[in-house]
Amino acid sequence: MKSQFKILSLLFIAAFLLAACGTPAAVAPIKETQIVTVKETQIVEVAATQTEVRLSGWASSPSETALLESLLYRFSVENPGITVKYEPITGDYKQALLTAIAAGTEPDLYYMDIAWWQEFAKNDVILPVDDLMSASGVKNEDFIPSLIDAFKFDGKTYGIPKDFNTLGLFYNKDLFDKAGLDYPTDDWTWDDLKTAAEKTTDLTDATKPIYGICAAADPGRFPIFVFQNGGTVMNADFTDTTLDSDEAIAAAQYYTDFRANKTGAAPADVGEGWQGTVFGKGQCAMVYEGGWLISYMRDQFPGTKYGVVIPPAGPAGEGNLIFTVAWGISKNTKNPEAAWKVVDFLTNEASQTTVLQSGFALPTRISLQANEYFTNNPNSAAIFNGALNNAQPFFWGSVGSDVNDQMGKALERVYKENQPVADALKQAATAVREALAAQ
Amino acid sequence: MTTFRNKKITEALTGYLFVAPWLFIFFTFSVFSLGYALYLSFTKYNLLSPPVWWGLGSYQRVLTDDLFWQKALPNTFKYVLIVVPLQTLVSLILAFAMDQKLRARKLFRTIFYLPSVTSSVVISLIFVWLFAPQGVFNQIFGLTINWLDNVNTAFYVIMGMNIFTTSGTLMLIFLSGLQDIPTTLYEAAEIDGADKLQTFMYITVPMLRPILFFVITVSVIGCFQVFDQIFVMTSGGPLDSTTTITYLIYKWAFRDTTVKMGQASALSVVLALIIIAVTFIQRRVIEGSGSTTE
Repeated sequence: MKSQFKILSLLFIAAFLLAACGTPAAVAPIKETQIVTVKETQIVEVAATQTEVRLSGWASSPSETALLESLLYRFSVENPGITVKYEPITGDYKQALLTAIAAGTEPDLYYMDIAWWQEFAKNDVILPVDDLMSASGVKNEDFIPSLIDAFKFDGKTYGIPKDFNTLGLFYNKDLFDKAGLDYPTDDWTWDDLKTAAEKTTDLTDATKPIYGICAAADPGRFPIFVFQNGGTVMNADFTDTTLDSDEAIAAAQYYTDFRANKTGAAPADVGEGWQGTVFGKGQCAMVYEGGWLISYMRDQFPGTKYGVVIPPAGPAGEGNLIFTVAWGISKNTKNPEAAWKVVDFLTNEASQTTVLQSGFALPTRISLQANEYFTNNPNSAAIFNGALNNAQPFFWGSVGSDVNDQMGKALERVYKENQPVADALKQAATAVREALAAQ
Repeated sequence: MTTFRNKKITEALTGYLFVAPWLFIFFTFSVFSLGYALYLSFTKYNLLSPPVWWGLGSYQRVLTDDLFWQKALPNTFKYVLIVVPLQTLVSLILAFAMDQKLRARKLFRTIFYLPSVTSSVVISLIFVWLFAPQGVFNQIFGLTINWLDNVNTAFYVIMGMNIFTTSGTLMLIFLSGLQDIPTTLYEAAEIDGADKLQTFMYITVPMLRPILFFVITVSVIGCFQVFDQIFVMTSGGPLDSTTTITYLIYKWAFRDTTVKMGQASALSVVLALIIIAVTFIQRRVIEGSGSTTE
C-alpha cells in the first residue's frame, strides 16, 4: 500500500530560544546570553507511518528544557518520519528510571549520569553504539577524549556525552584588588593558592568575615586535590580504594588546612548551604566550582566582578574532575536506528554549537574548542579547557555513592570533630572496603 | 430455612460488592506489595536484572551492617522514645484546654489543627528556613548555631517539628474522647467534694485510657516510620546523626550506586517485626496497668 501523506502543521513554542540562533552576524558579539521568546511554526509533510522515539531526562531548569525542545523541533523538521516524544522526569530521576527499567517501560533514549551509568552497561540494559556510530560516520575523535572514554565499558561505547562540566578556580576581582594581589593565572600552583588565600582573608568585620577560599566537605570538589598530588581515589579497576594513600592524606591535609588556619571556610561556617552563594556574597575570594556558577552569578549576583582559571597545579601537576551526562539507548528499544538518529542529531556540531551559545552547558565536540564564543567568554573557556588537563570522570565504580559518602564524612569529621586527617581518611577507606566486600 | 439461607448469601454478596473497590485497592497496593517485598527480601535484586534467590543473605547483610546497628536502629528508638511521650503530653494538654469554656476556642482549635493538614514537605521546608543559620530562630534568640548541620541539634529540630505537626491531630482525637466522658461523673465528683486535680486524675485519665492506647499505638507506629521530614531536611546527615531505619531503606533501595533492593526489603521486614513486637508489648503493658487500678 502506498504510504499516504498528510499535511501536518507543527506548532512549536521555543521559549527562551537564543536570538542569535541562525543569524551568523549575531553570533560573535554575545557577551551576556541574550534570552528572548521565539515562536516557530512550519508546515511539514509527515509520513503516515511514524516511528516513535521516547526520550527522557531530568528537567534542571525551564531554560534548559526549552533548549532541548527547540533542538528536538529542528530534528522533527529534518526527520518527518520520526516522532520524538519528550518525557521529562521531575523529582528523583534515577529512582524513576530504575523502576521504569524494572517494569520494562523505560524510554528509548535517556540521560545517563557519569556517576552511575556503568551499572546499566554491566546489567546489559543499554545498547552499545559503536556500530551505529561508524554507520553514520561519527568518530571517537570528534569528541573530547576524556568525555567519550568515560562512557566506554569492556571496550564498547555505550553513550554519547551531551554536555559536561569541570571545576575551575573562581576568584573575586574586587577582593583581589583590595588585597593588592595579581589575579590568578592558569600557571598557578598550590603555593600561590595558599598565599592568595592568606592575603585575601579579612576577618576584621566579625559580622561579615571574608575568607580566602571556600573549602566545603564536598566529595565533588576534594578529589581534584588528590589528583594534583599524584594520587587517586580508587585503583585502576575500581576493586580497591586508595583514599588512605600518602598522596590522598597529604591532599586532604592541604585542603582542610585552609579552614584550620582560618584562611578558608566551609559554607556552613558563614551560614550558607552552598559555596556558590558564599562566593556571590563576597565572603570568600576563591572557590572551586563548575560552569553552573557562571549562570548562577549572572542571575543572582550580576554586579560581582570575577574571573575563572583552570585549577592551580599541585606537586604532581594538573588535576580536574569531569561531570558529564550522556545519551544512552535502551536495549529494549524497537527502533535503535531512529533512536540513534536523535542522539546523533543532538550531539552533532550544529546542535552542540547551539548548546554552547545558550550558555547553559559546554559542548562535547572537540572542534568547538576554537569557537568564537570562548574568545568572548574566557570564563567558560577555563571550564572547557579543564577537561583537557588530567581530568578524570566523577566516577568511583560500583560503590560510588559509598565512596562519595565516605569522602564527605571524612572531611566533615575533620571539620566538626577535629579528627586527625590521616585517621579520617583511613576510616573512610575501611568503610569503602567493607562496602566493596559486601558487593 | 432455605430462603433464609439464600437471603443470607445474597446479603453477604451485596456486602462484598460494596467493599469490592476497597478490597481491590487493598489487595493490589497492600497485600500484593507486602508479599512481593517479602519475596524480594530473600533475593538479590538491583532493579536492572531480574531478582536472584539469595535465601537469608539479605538478612545477614542487614544484621551485620554497621550503619544499621550504630546509627539507624538507635536513632529510630531515640526518636520514638522522645517524640511519642512529648507529643502525647502536648496534645493531651491542648485537648484539655480546648475542652474548657474558652473564648474563641474554635479559632484556637483550627489553628492547632492547621499544621496537621499541611503537607509535611512544606512544613519541613519552612523549618529548614526557620532553623537556617540566618533564619528566624537564630535571629530572635541571637544565636549562630547551624541547627541542621550540627550533629548535636539536627535530630532534635526534626523531632520538634514532628511534635508540632502531629499534636493537632492527636488533640482532636483526645478532644472527642474528653467530650465522650459523661458529665454525670463530673457532677458526682463535685458533690463528693473532689477538686480539679482529683477529677482529672481519677475521672478524666481513666476514662481516656482506650483513647490513650489508640493514640500511643498510632504515634509509635508513625514514629518508627518517620521518613519524609528527614529526606527533605537533612538526608540522614550530618554524619548520619539523623539516619533512621526508613531512611536507610531508601538509601539502599534508590540512592546507592549499586541498588540493594533485596537488602532494603529485608530491612523493611525487620522494621515491620520491630513494630509488631513493640505494639504487642505496649498492649500488654497498658492493659495490664488498667486491670490493676480497677
